[in-house]
Amino acid sequence: MSDNRDDFIIAIRYALLKKGAKQKFSLFFLIILSISIITLDKLSPAFVNPVRAVFTDIVYRVAVVSAQPAVFKTFLGNKIKEHYSLIEENKYLKVEIEYLKQQKFNNAYLKTDNEVLRNALNLSNDRSMEQDFTVTAKIILDQESPYLKSFLINKGSTDGIIKGMTVFSGEYLMGTIIETNYLTSRVLLLTDLNSKIPIIIENTSINGILEGTGNKKNFRLNYLPEGYALEVEKIIFTSGKDGFLTEGIPVAKTYLDKKDNVLIKLLADPDQVLIVQVTNGQISK
Amino acid sequence: MYYFKSIKEKLLISLPVILLYFFSFYHFQMPEIGKINFFSFNFQMILVYFYVLKFPDDLGFGNIFLAGIINDTVVGIPLGTTSLSYLTLSLFTSYIRNATLRSVMTAEWFTFIPALFFSNLIYLLIINNFSNLSFYYIELLQNTFFTFLYYPIFHYIFSRYQNLISKD
Repeated sequence: MSDNRDDFIIAIRYALLKKGAKQKFSLFFLIILSISIITLDKLSPAFVNPVRAVFTDIVYRVAVVSAQPAVFKTFLGNKIKEHYSLIEENKYLKVEIEYLKQQKFNNAYLKTDNEVLRNALNLSNDRSMEQDFTVTAKIILDQESPYLKSFLINKGSTDGIIKGMTVFSGEYLMGTIIETNYLTSRVLLLTDLNSKIPIIIENTSINGILEGTGNKKNFRLNYLPEGYALEVEKIIFTSGKDGFLTEGIPVAKTYLDKKDNVLIKLLADPDQVLIVQVTNGQISK
Repeated sequence: MYYFKSIKEKLLISLPVILLYFFSFYHFQMPEIGKINFFSFNFQMILVYFYVLKFPDDLGFGNIFLAGIINDTVVGIPLGTTSLSYLTLSLFTSYIRNATLRSVMTAEWFTFIPALFFSNLIYLLIINNFSNLSFYYIELLQNTFFTFLYYPIFHYIFSRYQNLISKD
């Protein structure tokens, strides 16, 4: 019994401390170094942040380069698909143009009618959304990971981006900034498990918390009233109860899956987005 | 001529290190078939386990450590997590190497289970205690299972490769 224990200790000690012919570091030294890095990363003392930001920027740039063959393959595939779908699209568009020509005249009348009625009700036409801060950024790295649903953008703290800012694709909410470096930032997608936003459901006063599950076609709604059944084809908007996002930003919609379950999917497709807008979330109507 | 031969030899010997770094920078995506992603596996773990077990001089612990740090940066988890996970795997593998007299593929394959278990345990402990990240446990479980399942295939490929370069 005691011999077995001694053998075990000797084998472990040998594995930890032996460097071998070509090994420059022992396992023991590297394990201690890893633990030190994890501790430093957790404590985040002031001198670590610039070092980490520079290192991260370098790694991201190299990662972008290493992902280029895959990016080119996707680009080529998309171009071929695009080419074959053009003919079909052309036929469809011709029919649609005819239809739109007819609609144009109807709309001109309705517009005038609407303006007259608005003036009568004293409503303003200026309902555009304005951000205090907006930066357009390109997605440089979008790698599938079982640990974090996120992507990298090519704008960082030098462009004024700070942690916590919101990211939009067109007019749809995509996620928030969780990490900024000098030249790059990481966006946590709404699909991630860690993403939780307060919402309100279209044409109701039902409030809830929309949580990611890792799947863009299956979100979770929590804190709904007891017995409330979700209806199909309802748009889900931000409620603004977090005090950061303004209410009324479209986020997701409900739909019926093949098994007749009502599920929630994101309005923006994170896999198809190339350009995003980073804002400070203070959208004023 | 001798100069080029020397470069070729060095490149062939360094291929495991190159692959380790490449897959730390680039996480390849394979299409999902149904609900299970059959191609989600951790190539780096297979590479580390095989080379630390069979050809420890071809894959240095320093490279394993650095590849882990790069992987953490790319994936966006606390720095040092993957390094410690890979080093735990290396420690366990070194122990197996020292404790085993005769190497058999099936035995190596099954000792890969506790090696993966300890490695992932360290990973989960760090993520849970040193970050606020939630975790996709099912995906990690799938990933670990397929990493274990594909080991014999890569064992065959790596063994053939090592035979080829040793003949050269």
